[in-house]
Parts: sequence; C-alpha cells; structure tokens
Amino acid sequence: MNILLVEDERSLGESIITYLSKEGYHCEWAENFSKASEKTWAYSYDCVIVDITLPDGNGLDVIEGLKKLKSLSGIIIISARNSIEDRIKGLDIGADDYITKPFDLSELNARVKAVIRRRNFDAQNEIVFKEITVKPYDRSVSIHEQFVSLTKKEFDLLVFFISNQNRVITKESIAEHLWGDDMDMADSYDFIYSHLKNLRKKIQEHGGNDYIETVYGIGYKFTNH
Amino acid sequence: MRLLAIANRYYLATLIIVFVAGSLAAYLILKSIINQEFNEKLFAEQDQLLYELRNYENLEKTYYLNIGDLIEINEVAENPNIPPTLIDTVMYDPYEKKELPFRLLTFSSEIKSRFYVITISKSLLPNQDLMEGVSEIMLGIALMLMVSLGLLNRFIFKKLWHPFHQIIDQLHKFQITHPEQLAIEPSHVEEFNDLRQVLDKMISKSIYDYKTLKEYTENTSHEIQTPLAIIKNKAEMLLQEPLSEAQLNEVSKIYEAAGRLSRLKEGLSTLTKIDNNQFVESEPIELKAFIMSRLSGFDELVDLKGLKVDLRFEGNPILNFSNDLMYMMITNLLSNSIKHNIQDGTIRIILTQNHLVIENTGKDPGLPTASLFDRFKRSGEGHESTGLGLSIIKRIADLYDMTILYTYQDGWHRIKISFNSQKHQNHEDQR
Repeated sequence: MNILLVEDERSLGESIITYLSKEGYHCEWAENFSKASEKTWAYSYDCVIVDITLPDGNGLDVIEGLKKLKSLSGIIIISARNSIEDRIKGLDIGADDYITKPFDLSELNARVKAVIRRRNFDAQNEIVFKEITVKPYDRSVSIHEQFVSLTKKEFDLLVFFISNQNRVITKESIAEHLWGDDMDMADSYDFIYSHLKNLRKKIQEHGGNDYIETVYGIGYKFTNH
Repeated sequence: MRLLAIANRYYLATLIIVFVAGSLAAYLILKSIINQEFNEKLFAEQDQLLYELRNYENLEKTYYLNIGDLIEINEVAENPNIPPTLIDTVMYDPYEKKELPFRLLTFSSEIKSRFYVITISKSLLPNQDLMEGVSEIMLGIALMLMVSLGLLNRFIFKKLWHPFHQIIDQLHKFQITHPEQLAIEPSHVEEFNDLRQVLDKMISKSIYDYKTLKEYTENTSHEIQTPLAIIKNKAEMLLQEPLSEAQLNEVSKIYEAAGRLSRLKEGLSTLTKIDNNQFVESEPIELKAFIMSRLSGFDELVDLKGLKVDLRFEGNPILNFSNDLMYMMITNLLSNSIKHNIQDGTIRIILTQNHLVIENTGKDPGLPTASLFDRFKRSGEGHESTGLGLSIIKRIADLYDMTILYTYQDGWHRIKISFNSQKHQNHEDQR
C-alpha cells in the first residue's frame, strides 16, 4: 500500500510517516504543492493525505489535480481549520475524509485504513485478527465463525483497536473516535470503561481471547502478546 | 421625544409668554389712551353744556352730546363751589337693563345768576368692548403665528433634516457582518456633511477592526493548531516507546495537556465568534423536535449512567435562531445535565411556549450560582472540562436577548431559559 503525505510542517510530517510506516505502508512525503503535483502525476497511491495550507499553494488544488487524473486514491484532508464550510468544500471536490488538527495518529491511521478499504471496492473485504473476523460493510463481527452481536460503539471500538494493533491508544483518542466533539473528556472515560467491559465479555463469551491490555493511567493496547 | 415635537414645544412656550406680556402691555396702553380720551370728552361736554345753557333760553334741538350720556342738572340756593370732579361708579343702565360702569363728571356752575350742580354720566361700556376686541385680535394673531410657525417648522424639519434622517435609516440597516459603506448624498448643510464624513470614517474603521479581529481569531486558531498537533503526535509516538511506567505517565500528561489546550482554544474561539456576531444566519427552529433529536445523540450516555429522562412538552415554540448556536446551546445543556448528574439520577426537560427548563439531580456545585456562567468557573470535579460550556450557553442566550437563570435546590440543578424577549424582538424585526 502506497501513501502520499502532503504536509509542509516537518515535525508533524515525521510523526505521521513514522507511525504509518510501522503499519506496513510505504509512505512518501511531499513538502509543498509543486512536489505534490509532481508525485501525484508520476505515481499512483492508495491514499493521499493532504494538508490544505501549503507554502506554495492550496491543498484543495492537489485534490482537484488528482480528480482530473481520474485517480482512484483515497483522499484525506488534514486541516487546522475546523470550519464547516471548509469541510463541506473539501468533501465536495472529492475528498473521502476530513480531519482537524490536532488529531491523534491512531485516529488518522484508522481513517486511512477505512478509506483504503472503501477504495478497494471489495465487498468481501474482511479484517481478520486471529479468531476475530470483522466485515466492515455489514458491520458484523464473528469469532470462531460464530456471529457476535455488538452495539455500534462496541463495533467502532473493536475496529479502532484492530486498526491500531500493538499501539498504546490513549483514552482521549478513543473518546474522540467514538463521540467526536459531543462529549466532555472527563465523562467519557467511564463510558469507555463500560463499553470495553461489555466488549471483552462478549469476545470471551464466544471463546475469543482478551487482547485488550490496560496501560495504567494512559489508555489501552490491543495486542496478541 | 421627536425633534419636531421638542422644537414645537419651545415655540409654543415662547409664543404664550410673548402673547401674555404683549396683551397685557397693549391692554394697559390702550386703557390709558382711552381713559384720557374719555376725560377729554367729558370736559368738552361740560364746556359745550355750559355754553349752551348760558347762551340759549331753552334747551336746544340739537346737543353736541353723546347719546346715552346722562345729564343731571340740579339747581341749588348757594354757590356750592364744586370743582369738576371725575368719579367712576356703577349705575343701572336702562338700555342694557343691567348695572354697568359709568364715569361721572360733577361740577357746579353759575348760569344766569343761578347756581347749579351738574353731573354728566358717560357709560364706559363701549370701551370695555374695545378691550375685549383687542384681546381677541391678539389671540387671533397668536394663533395664526403658532399655526404658521408649526407648519414652517414641519417643512424645515422635513426639508432641512432630510439628510439626517437618511443617515439614521442607513445606520439602522447597517450590519457589521455584511458591511456596506453608507450611501448618503452630500448635503448643502455643513453640519450634515461633517456628520456624514465622521460616520464614514467610523464605519470604515469598525469594518476594518472587525475584519482584523476576525482574521486574527481565525489565524490564531489556525496557527496554534499545528504546533499543538506536533506536541500531541510526538507525545503519542513516545507513548509507543518502551519507557518506564513513570516516564510514560509524564508523557501522557504532556499529551493530555495538549488535548486540553486544543479544546480550550476551540471553546474560546467559539466565544469570540459569538461575540463578533459571526453566527448571523438564523432560521426558524422548532425547539421540541430539535431537543428530541439532540437528546437521541445522548441516549447511550443516559443509559450508561442509568438516568431517567422526564420530558414535559407543554408548548412547541418556534424560535428564529442560528442553527449552529442552537446546536451548541442544547448540546451543552444536555451534556451538562448528564455530566453533573448522579448515577441513576433524573433529567427533567420542561418546554413551554415561553421558556425551557432543564433540571437534573446532582451534587451541590459549591459555587455562587451566578458565577457559574463566568469563564473557567467550574465546580471541583471534572477537571478535564474546559469550564467554558456554561459561558457559551450564557453568551448565546445574551445574543438572543433570552434570560438565563441557574439555581440549585434540594439536590436539583435547574437552568431556566426564558425566551419571551426573543420572540418579542422577532416581532419588532418583522414590523
């Protein structure tokens, strides 16, 4: 899987590249508009992550360029502007997702995966982790080929975990993923805890292992060792 | 009070004073002239009468005396030596058949060796009529003057003050969010031209300030986000490293602080946007449906906390409101009522035509109730919250002239928002 990151901020770019590379993606980095145009012209990517504000141009133009090339890349906008107009404009010209700075790398990673899954047009697309099989399109989960009934939040939580395997995922990151801005952080931890409790219980009831590790005071880690 | 009414009031007061003083003066002057004339006439009659009595044997066919004047001639034995004396008195007038003022001239004289006391009485009536006539004329003039001044004033007001009204009209329509320069035609009145220029300058300045502030707000929030993202992501990367638990905890604190700063900035820039009137697009919002739809977003939290939701819709007001702000307000209110609730508590929502009350069970906030609406005031628990939620609610309420009241009593938090004035304002806008 090839990913192109268009981001002028060095430190930010480094973190994103490092995080995504560890996920097994092949990542390239364009620091400005002209490099981005060059790269999108020359190569094809599964996913392009674009910052809107670039020193020599607008990230939206990069997206328009991709659309002109009839590129099949998934496109995620990262922007410092949390404005509805920007969001609508970005999605209008063909971006698949829009994420506002500052974001969690785990969140970006989950969204990249979701975009790539959607772009692959494979309805049979499954995410398999050991005995757990997730079908994102049907929003169904089975363990040992046995269907498990999960609530929407439990399902989202499980997919988020599987997308960020072997990573410490902070409580904040989970809260934001599940509830967005609607929720005050302080409350959400209790809610995360009860969702997790239920999710663990359901997985174990179906003979699955408990892969959710608690990292005390920080968050959780989904891991098989 | 309108300028015209005030000007007219001053004109009227001046006219009354001038009229009263003028009438009094005219009355006194006329009275003294007439008095003198009367006396002269009486003395002339005396001379004429004496002349006639002395020179003719009998009374003449023609007297040069005024009709209505009464002449009494009494013969006396000795010379009484009465000098001509004027007396004002009231006597019965057989013509008018009532008591009327008269002036008497009494004198004695010797006519053909006989002594007489003669009194000539002259009715003062015609003169009083004259006085009344004078007053009527004065009053008439005053009235005409008043009417013509009033009309003139109205005309001047319309014609001369036209640019002024034009300016006021345009200022009424002016909106900082959709700024347009004033389009006022130059006037030949210097003061209005001055006013126009000063206003033009002021408006350009405020448009400029508004834009600058708006840009500043947008830029700050934009510029802050990137470094915040770097801090957050670097911390997140560090969390993946095999650090000791103590080190991980330190890093996690950096991570948390960055998140809090970001939320804080988000809240503050929302407040600034409200203060800057950047949410101007309003639409009619059916409150009941709006609350229901927002509430459904909290279903899960309500369930998890085991809360009972008690809905009492007694009315379904439709408010003209910015959709974004209504969303923020209702979301904040509901989220607060869940956050500050107790396990297995209750949320009660009462909606009537005039107000919205959201009550919830909860612990004593331990703060003076009014100060809860201030920025960054929060009760002890919930350290992660920004403390901006209630001040955002308050600011939105203020913007729409709604009153908001918070009370805590017997284990119940109660927020009451009254939108009487909001509806009232809408009516006024429509007019």
